[in-house]
Amino acid sequence: MMRWGPTARTAAAPVVRITMTNIQNDSEPFVLFELAGTTYGVRSRFVQQMEMVEHITPVPNALPAVEGVVLARGQVIPALNLRVRFGFEKIPYDLRSRLMVVNKKGRTLGLIVDTAREFFSIPDAAVEPPPEAITGLSGKYLEGIATIKGRMILVLNLDEVIDIGEEQSTAGGRAEPA
Amino acid sequence: MSESNPDDGGEFFAQFLDDYFAECDEHLTLVRRHLLALEEEVGRPDIDQSLLDEMFRSFHTLKGISSMVGLSAAEQLAHHMESYLRALRRKDAPLGVEGVEALMAGTTLLEQVIAALRKKESAPGIDATVARLLAIVSAPAPEESATVKATVDESAASAEPERDATRTNAPSRRVEDGRTWRFEFMPTPALSERGVNVNSVRARLLEIGELLQATPHVREQGGIVFEFVVATAADESVFAGWHGDNLTYAPVAKEAFANEIQPPSIQSPPIQPTIQTGPASASEEVGGSQSPSAAPAASMLASSNVVRVDLARLDDLMRLIGELVTSRARLDESLKQLKRNVAPAEWRALQETSQAMARQLRDLREGVMRVRMVQVGEIFERMKFVVRDLARESGKDIKLELLGQETEIDKFLVERMMGPLLHLVRNAVSHGLETVSERVAQGKPPAGKVTLRAATAGDNVLIEIADDGRGVDVERVAARARALGLLGAGVGVDEVLLLKLLCAPGFSTRDEADRASGRGVGMDVVGRTIEELGGTLALSTSENRGTHFTIELPLTLAIADALIAVAGGRRFALPQTVVREVIEVEASAVRVLENNEIISYREGVLPLVRLARLFGLEEETGRAVFHVFVIGSGAEVLGLAVDRIIGQREIVVRGMNDPLVKVAGVAGATDLGDGRVVLILDVAALRHSLRGGKLSDGNGSARPPRRR
Repeated sequence: MMRWGPTARTAAAPVVRITMTNIQNDSEPFVLFELAGTTYGVRSRFVQQMEMVEHITPVPNALPAVEGVVLARGQVIPALNLRVRFGFEKIPYDLRSRLMVVNKKGRTLGLIVDTAREFFSIPDAAVEPPPEAITGLSGKYLEGIATIKGRMILVLNLDEVIDIGEEQSTAGGRAEPA
Repeated sequence: MSESNPDDGGEFFAQFLDDYFAECDEHLTLVRRHLLALEEEVGRPDIDQSLLDEMFRSFHTLKGISSMVGLSAAEQLAHHMESYLRALRRKDAPLGVEGVEALMAGTTLLEQVIAALRKKESAPGIDATVARLLAIVSAPAPEESATVKATVDESAASAEPERDATRTNAPSRRVEDGRTWRFEFMPTPALSERGVNVNSVRARLLEIGELLQATPHVREQGGIVFEFVVATAADESVFAGWHGDNLTYAPVAKEAFANEIQPPSIQSPPIQPTIQTGPASASEEVGGSQSPSAAPAASMLASSNVVRVDLARLDDLMRLIGELVTSRARLDESLKQLKRNVAPAEWRALQETSQAMARQLRDLREGVMRVRMVQVGEIFERMKFVVRDLARESGKDIKLELLGQETEIDKFLVERMMGPLLHLVRNAVSHGLETVSERVAQGKPPAGKVTLRAATAGDNVLIEIADDGRGVDVERVAARARALGLLGAGVGVDEVLLLKLLCAPGFSTRDEADRASGRGVGMDVVGRTIEELGGTLALSTSENRGTHFTIELPLTLAIADALIAVAGGRRFALPQTVVREVIEVEASAVRVLENNEIISYREGVLPLVRLARLFGLEEETGRAVFHVFVIGSGAEVLGLAVDRIIGQREIVVRGMNDPLVKVAGVAGATDLGDGRVVLILDVAALRHSLRGGKLSDGNGSARPPRRR
């Protein structure tokens, strides 16, 4: 059967297709990435593509976490440094750094992470709500925590991560990293 | 009217006719304007030559294009008016009141004849008007020109009766000089890509001799053939080589031709013109054949539904709207100042008006954007013609399905997408679809189906090209890619990679380029064009089910001329329309006044704003000379200082719509082709914010700039 329209495009992403074969009914594929020594997961259906970090054009007077804009498939999208966003120390990009292009709520953004390469199928049942202890700054960005075969994976709440405007109005200006 | 009825010619002809009507409108408008000017010239010793020249050219064009659509009545009318103007230019004929009136009558009638074709009605007769024009041309030349050019006049006078005959029997006489040939030209998309089209063929034929007749014929099996009859003294060897351009020829017997093309209206003996009759009664004389609505028909033609506008003018309009927006912002600012001094009720009324204006301005802006939009059906219709051509060439049975023709897309995009779409459609036919026998053997319907579908999806337009043919042979593509060294051994090919390989420069699975798809733009150009337009291309294919390309494009693209400058080590683009002047300034010429930098400019001073400082960028120090953009005017004039200007470019404006990167002073972004984004400055916002002293976008996400 021929595929029409956007379905054809999303299904055509090679990496996603590989993991599709692993899908069981009660689990979902995740893209795993590293940030400051911790493993995070984001549902792969929100991930459009993965790129090396290069050619970021800084945007004057944008928020500190916004590194600038990049060209991704002909579209100009913001590149958000997740380290800065989560309040970690900013490090220079290297060959392992990745720009993870995500689609959420009709927006397309690039998230800069330390590295990302794994796909992982996480059963729904394995995702538990984040414990009270980490409901601080970073807890807000988490949807839950999954522990599989001894590995702890923090599941990202993408909506919270990309929704900076609201937070600004409530939390006010955050301290800028030097 | 000629025997070929243009109405049967399908969409191509409809398009052709639309262009014809639009061009007629333009020339008739010009002619009408010039006629009024010409009336003033009556009785003057020296007629404004440029006026005559321009009218002559307009009639000449009208004659030419009318013959292309087979509207011989218009062709003849234009021809006779052209002849009169030629005579006027050579001072062979006098310009009198009756001459101008005859031209006016002729022009009115010409409009009616063209309008009749548009409304598919029978055309009014032209005999009376033609006779009137003829009578004027053959009138004796005025005294003064006789004295100036006595010898010329003498020969002209003796030639007069014969020339008259020339006009009545124009073509048959010219045939005597050489031979007459009938050329047939069949346009194809491949030819037109090489620049060989009806117009170029026509120009070519005009070079070798006289074009006696040009008639389009719609062929039963589809397609159009243009027939030209040319009298030429040139040897056959001159045009023997034109076969390759689908231009065939055969000699024509003189007598046969003379009889054939002699229009019946001219065969009748010239009617003695009654000079006193006005334009209206002149056409009424023809009586019976004239349609009752002939008089309003002329105004119908003038009020054509289609207006052709240069995109540059729309850009101008856009710029003006931009200025309006700035003015309104200024008004808003003044209103805030006023709040304390005005009674609340009055102030509220003012405020509401100002806000209503803001909304209307936004609507106006969107309205102008909409003007740029055309229906995608325009290019789809042309594909019909292409497919018909391809079907004939390939012997395949093809059914073309068009969906979503009413989808609107920016005019600029439509023009650029023509080539890629052509290529994909050709690919679908020549690579995708099987022959009738192959299809039948597979149990498929004998006719292959090619589907073109357009739809709007949010801010994007989807264009899909699908066929139900054999599908892309992935193994074959992979094998070839490996042979070309594009693909490592053992690497699997999915649809994304497949598309990448197909779009690789120089990649073609056919060893011998075939006529339909092996030439012109390749898949690499298709992919690149779409990417340049900010779109994406996706492929999905399955064996024996067919291939399906999906193009996704932004709905509209603004194209602007921009100056590219470097400031603080970064490149910025500045729309050229906002720049009044670019000046080079020596660092030593800058004076500091309080905390402002100024330079002398013209009779006054120009306050400088350093872009690097404004954007909090590291400033380049020790530069002896820098560039300044002069923006704004009057008291608002401002110099935007940059390190240097590196060039001028036509840029595609891409929106930066994500709230995270929507900042004041940046209107959007562009890509200069190196994969790096260059920000486009929003000069209006920059100027506005400078008056307020700081750069802020009002949504709370921006930092104030570093203090100066």
